[in-house]
Amino acid sequence: MAEKPQPVRVLYCSICSLPAEYCEFGPDFEKCKPWLIKNAPELYPDLLKEANEKEAEKVSGQLQLFGLSSGGADGATSGQTSSSKQEEVKRLPGGKIKKKERQEVVIEKVVRNKRKCITIVKGLDLFGVKLSDASKKLGKKFATGASVVKGPTEKEQIDVQGDISYDIVEFITDTWPAVISLSIFFSFSCVLHKWCIWKTLKEDFLPLF
Amino acid sequence: MFKKFSAEEVSAQNQVKASVQRKIRQSIADEYPGLEPVLDDLLPKKSPLIVAKCQNHLNLVLVNNVPLFFNIRDGPYMPTLRLLHQYPNIMKKLQVDRGAIKFVLSGANIMCPGLTSPGGSLDEEVGAETPVAIMAEGKQHALAIGFTKMSAKDIKAINKGIGVDNMHYLNDGLWKMERLE
Repeated sequence: MAEKPQPVRVLYCSICSLPAEYCEFGPDFEKCKPWLIKNAPELYPDLLKEANEKEAEKVSGQLQLFGLSSGGADGATSGQTSSSKQEEVKRLPGGKIKKKERQEVVIEKVVRNKRKCITIVKGLDLFGVKLSDASKKLGKKFATGASVVKGPTEKEQIDVQGDISYDIVEFITDTWPAVISLSIFFSFSCVLHKWCIWKTLKEDFLPLF
Repeated sequence: MFKKFSAEEVSAQNQVKASVQRKIRQSIADEYPGLEPVLDDLLPKKSPLIVAKCQNHLNLVLVNNVPLFFNIRDGPYMPTLRLLHQYPNIMKKLQVDRGAIKFVLSGANIMCPGLTSPGGSLDEEVGAETPVAIMAEGKQHALAIGFTKMSAKDIKAINKGIGVDNMHYLNDGLWKMERLE
């Protein structure tokens, strides 16, 4: 289709995530300034001037300190200082920090019909385990139905019928050594349970004592 | 509305039935005729549409974990700001003056004087209870999505009090939630 409207590409500030023109109203305009100077100088002409003046002052100050003659070196040094500023900002992102996908297995128990339940194992695929194989193995071991189910948000998980949370940890760590027992968590309505950590700690470190 | 909003407020997210999916598509297409040519790209027929239910009768329409539309109870579907920025002409626009920007960006509702002052502008055709894009004096992009309380004519005539309810604005909870896992 020829008349299809093309999506407009909006320049978003990498610091505060707002469109660049709204940075001045953002949570932290000062932090955005170096980014703005680099990426959207035309939006804030005053800013560029201000920054240049400041940098020039800085550079000239430095040059005086070292007793160098202020000349052609001006441009080069100013470039350096701006790049170092950029790095500093990257380490301290103002708005939000993206969550890294942590490698962990979450075991969840969902109660069905009051006395029956399903054990859901999430995140095994993060350890390079084939889920279809894993579900077969789990079903065989616990003699129940186990299936790979697509979670609500595209994430695949294994549903095992019955409450097998009591020894699933051991089974997982035995069959797939890649999965460290410390990275297995229990979740009851998404609250990570501590006893599992405690338990694994006990098991792992008892021989040491 | 989204001032404090995070993934924790999502109580359930479900892949919706094909019939519901059709209904959502239809109502979005009715509401935003300008979006029709690209609607197939936005909401591909094949890929599953997920509706996340949140507190306060709020629904989010997700495709590939990206929130695209939201609605309250059975109200009209409204695009998120990120989507509106891509297709700015799908909604009627109201413009506020420069002084109002900082209040709108902290979640305030849009008052009539901010729309009628020299810096603001009004689309005469806007009726009451319709979703509108809130633009700002001297800025290209929308800064909020609102829901009019009175029609544009009333706003001009009365020129007092809240003209548009602020639903979703830059840097609120929904804006910060680029993806919902």
